[in-house]
Amino acid sequence: MKANCWLGRNVVDVEDVPDPRILNERDAIVRITSTAICGSDLHLYDGYIPTMKRGDVLGHEFMGEVVDKGSRVGNLNIGDRVVVPFPIACGDCNACEKELYSLCENSNPNAGLAEKMFGFPTAGIFGYSHLTGGFAGGQAEYARVPFADVGPIKIENGIPDESVLFLSDIFPTGYMGAEMCEIKNGDVIAIWGAGPVGQFAAASARMLGAERVIMIDRFEYRLRIARENTGAETLNYDGIDDVPEALKELTGGRGPDACIDAVGMESHHHGSVYAYDRVKHAARMEADRPFAIREAIMSCRNGGIVSVIGVYGGFVDKFPLGALMNRGISIKTGQCHVQRYMRPLLERIQEGEIDPSFVITHKIPLSQAPIGYELFKHKLDNCLKVVLKP
Amino acid sequence: MAAAPSVRGRDKDSLARFLGWFSIGLGTAKFAAPRAMCRLIGARGDGDSRSVMRLMGARELAQGVGILTRPRPAGWLWARVVGDGIDLSLLTLTALRNKEHRGRTAFAIANVLAVTVPDVLESERHRRRQGRTYPGMLMRKAVTINRPRGEVEAAWTAAAIELHRKIEQVGGHVVFSDAPGNRGTEVAVDFIDAPPAGELGAAVLKAAGSDLATELSNDLRRFKQLVETGEIVRSDSTPDGRLLADQLHQRAAQPLEEAVR
Repeated sequence: MKANCWLGRNVVDVEDVPDPRILNERDAIVRITSTAICGSDLHLYDGYIPTMKRGDVLGHEFMGEVVDKGSRVGNLNIGDRVVVPFPIACGDCNACEKELYSLCENSNPNAGLAEKMFGFPTAGIFGYSHLTGGFAGGQAEYARVPFADVGPIKIENGIPDESVLFLSDIFPTGYMGAEMCEIKNGDVIAIWGAGPVGQFAAASARMLGAERVIMIDRFEYRLRIARENTGAETLNYDGIDDVPEALKELTGGRGPDACIDAVGMESHHHGSVYAYDRVKHAARMEADRPFAIREAIMSCRNGGIVSVIGVYGGFVDKFPLGALMNRGISIKTGQCHVQRYMRPLLERIQEGEIDPSFVITHKIPLSQAPIGYELFKHKLDNCLKVVLKP
Repeated sequence: MAAAPSVRGRDKDSLARFLGWFSIGLGTAKFAAPRAMCRLIGARGDGDSRSVMRLMGARELAQGVGILTRPRPAGWLWARVVGDGIDLSLLTLTALRNKEHRGRTAFAIANVLAVTVPDVLESERHRRRQGRTYPGMLMRKAVTINRPRGEVEAAWTAAAIELHRKIEQVGGHVVFSDAPGNRGTEVAVDFIDAPPAGELGAAVLKAAGSDLATELSNDLRRFKQLVETGEIVRSDSTPDGRLLADQLHQRAAQPLEEAVR
């Protein structure tokens, strides 16, 4: 089959690889009908996530049709149309029982490796380095889905791929980011990053009752999409000196009630601080460039919440721990527990409350995946989200 | 993870610590100023006796460092007793050969005898307190399995003979207990880790991911997978990955050429 493989920093290519097979009795094989490039794929592309190997099949946002299954997958039938969540979760361990699926204790065969890196291991993830299990990803014609009796959600009516594909990651991720803000009536939420996850965080914050949502980015086209589709106000940081100061004045001197970091480890900024972190990051002396979270903490009102859904990988410099502690700010974080949100969010889509397809700007064949990565990475051609069609 | 027996600190009381520093002080003097020390004990301080004095200084320094830095210093305390014996014989020799300064030599002998008493007492006390010593470190690896205790114990009995044999080989034993908060069962394996070549060997094995603790931790993780999910999870890159050592040299995350099932 054809699959998009990581070949080194800034190099991916669609190659011929063996077809996947059932390796465990709770596996299913899915023929992929739609798959997408995620912002976190760019961290792999840029070479900031360790333990990638040349030839790794990328991709963790995909859906398709079940074409084979192991003997213990009772809930799916051959021919079923499914969306596959990006964390692989067994459904049996303590973490899964508490619906903390991205912390599944059993789905990462490389747990020993992950434990050395993070202290405790996390769940397996499709196509997302060997630290998360070394599973082949879904930017391919077929994928093997472990614990298929737990993860995939059946799509039973004729709702198009484009409207449900993002249940695999970015819609639930954005939703969880908003949910962690514990939104109450009248709350003002600020969101760093108007990428696809930021867009869904904004839409979700509104759904959960936020009075105002303010999005911060430097790309006007992304801010425009946010204004048109999520009801957010926007702040282009390219034009202003000091984001926390601007947010303070926009919120009557209080600061936002909660701040969502939907940017993560490769954030941008201007001025000398950016140069400092950019150099350290490029030299791999600092694992993450933490501007967004620094600003989120400095902007958040006293006693507020900072919700981190942007991905970080290691250690950061100049973290404003003093502000965090003395001002009573809570940090909430996590890779999304997608399985927890798929059913309720599918219902919202079916009821017409939201159509997640608004983030798609490019739909191209799988064979053009390398072009998709370049478009998305460099924000060319007003790119916001690339969907690949095998 | 590692549970070293709690002997550090409390085990080394002030007398042992005094003897350690005493060794270092005396050793430094002997090593750095052998001629002056020779004169002090009534020796001639010519070429040979200076070398002997330096050597004894080095011995004292080693003993001092050993007593102060080892968690269980009984061996090093006994080395002091042996050292006292060597000192006494050398001093006797000096007294026989250098008659003009016998007064000084006699004073030195009296001093050595005075310190031999606490040396013997402290060595004996530490030997008794240490009891049986193991050539290794007491370790524990534990995992929580989200199943009732009876089920976990039954599964353990039925588990791979290989695992049982491995634990038996290292003198380990397994403890089952209910995890607090209805979280199933804690399985803990206590064992003695005695890698070849001691601490150096342990460091090398650990870096390579093939030390006993890592191995057992992986075994326990797989046992947990089996009990909780009914299978051992395989990924494309680690179809049979088991040891951390294997995990460091895995294949790309691409589907396998051949079925493993």
